[in-house]
Amino acid sequence: MATLTLPKHSLPSLLPSQTRRNPFSQSLSIVSKSSQSQFFGLKFSFSSNLPVPSSTPAKTSIVAKVNKGQVPPSFTLKDQDGKTVSLSKFKGKPVVVYFYPADETPGCTKQACAFRDSYEKFKKAGAEVVGISGDDTSSHKAFAKKYKLPYTLLSDEGNKVRKEWGVPSDLFGTLPGRQTYVLDKKGEVQLVYNNQFQPEKHIDETLKLLQSL
Amino acid sequence: MAILPHHKYPLRSLEHVPTCHHLCWSRARLTCSATTTTSTKPRSSPDQLIIEPRLDRLVTTPSPLVTPTRSRNTSPLLNDPNLLSTWSHRAWVATGCTTVLISLAKSMVAAANSHIWLEPMLAGYIGYILSDLGSGVYHWGIDNYGDASTPIFGSQIEAFQGHHKWPWTITRRQFANNLHALARATTFIVLPIVMLCDDPTLQGFVGVCSGCIMFSQQFHAWAHGTKSKLPPPVVALQEAGVLVSRTQHSAHHRQPYNNNYCIVSGIWNEFLDKYKVFEALEMVLFFKLGVRPRSWSEPNSNWTEETETPSPVH
Ligand SMILES: [Zn+2]
Ligand SMILES: [Zn+2]
Repeated sequence: MATLTLPKHSLPSLLPSQTRRNPFSQSLSIVSKSSQSQFFGLKFSFSSNLPVPSSTPAKTSIVAKVNKGQVPPSFTLKDQDGKTVSLSKFKGKPVVVYFYPADETPGCTKQACAFRDSYEKFKKAGAEVVGISGDDTSSHKAFAKKYKLPYTLLSDEGNKVRKEWGVPSDLFGTLPGRQTYVLDKKGEVQLVYNNQFQPEKHIDETLKLLQSL
Repeated sequence: MAILPHHKYPLRSLEHVPTCHHLCWSRARLTCSATTTTSTKPRSSPDQLIIEPRLDRLVTTPSPLVTPTRSRNTSPLLNDPNLLSTWSHRAWVATGCTTVLISLAKSMVAAANSHIWLEPMLAGYIGYILSDLGSGVYHWGIDNYGDASTPIFGSQIEAFQGHHKWPWTITRRQFANNLHALARATTFIVLPIVMLCDDPTLQGFVGVCSGCIMFSQQFHAWAHGTKSKLPPPVVALQEAGVLVSRTQHSAHHRQPYNNNYCIVSGIWNEFLDKYKVFEALEMVLFFKLGVRPRSWSEPNSNWTEETETPSPVH
């Protein structure tokens, strides 16, 4: 987490999006990074197609945050049935990986149900949906059963994957962030979408992108 | 009801929330604030407390409610002793009103002496605006956290839960019965400030703000009234947006029971709900302390009268 491998041609030192040391700089990075970020309904930057300023150098370096155009670190986690699932399992088709704060909280329930209600559209786009939170498998199992969720929920206990992917937290580090990634067939990130308090928007944004792939 | 086991967040459920057993919780429900006048209200003694790992247990437990012996359509409610004012209610309301009046009088006298009128008036206006926010934060906290056994706030929490079960009783509650708890709080908090401070601006702020908060329960009761039965000036003030409107507050008593908490003027409600301020606070409290607010649980379970077979709501 603490080590940042800087590329040979050094990044501007004031680039905050590469530092994730304290919550404040994290929240700064929400503002400064070019992936879509919304907080309390306020858009800080708009289009997902904006090139990330640092993406060219960042692409060749190992950084603590997954950006557009990168191949994110792989993971192997347990799903709601206790089966191990690796990211590589989805190679060859687009996959929506959404990180959410916790099962059975209002925003997450709305988001999960919205993914469920649009699940046919995701299937039609040939995409898989994977939700990741720090809850254990039994919590995921109950959550999926209660709301009849047809897709995979993975247990990231200890938030290891969340940290590896560099999902920013909200409200000065008090809340685990709600961030969605869309990976294309090659496993490259095509969209990073962050919006804590409008959980249903994640579905619209990801579908929009999937349909453009 | 919730299918989820209650131990699903082992790491987060470390807190021990002392909760009154649901039997005594529900038994005491209807007695509401009427029994809370004196500080000698019998609290559940410590040996009655059980350590509950999760706050929402209270909510998700299908509590055997006290079956109201009368239905909402039969009228002898007016005689319900729990809705009547006692002399101690009236004494507290009188003390609270006196405190507020002293504050306002001091503000005016000091303003007259120093010929500074604008600042105290502005401060009073800010007091009125902020009292609405204060009423919302207080109401949100009371509605969502703690229970009858919570220190200091237990009786208020119980009263507000009772109000959500039987919202209509507030219109039958006598004036002092409805206001005494806030009047008492006003007395304790505001009286020292009134005594110690002579600044007209501060007194203007404190007087108006505390007065509005003290009377918020009256404004709340009016918000439950019907247009035909309310005094016309009250209806006019509600329609002008000076007092919380009936439509706005009725939304608080409908699903999903997590909005429109403010009960003075209601001007903060739109902002607070649009930007999900309380939801954000609830999330922070959940991740920092592990407590779940009541409003996250099955909406039908503990907020309304219809408690049988709540339908699953997503
Ligand atoms: Zn309420
Ligand atoms: Zn009410």
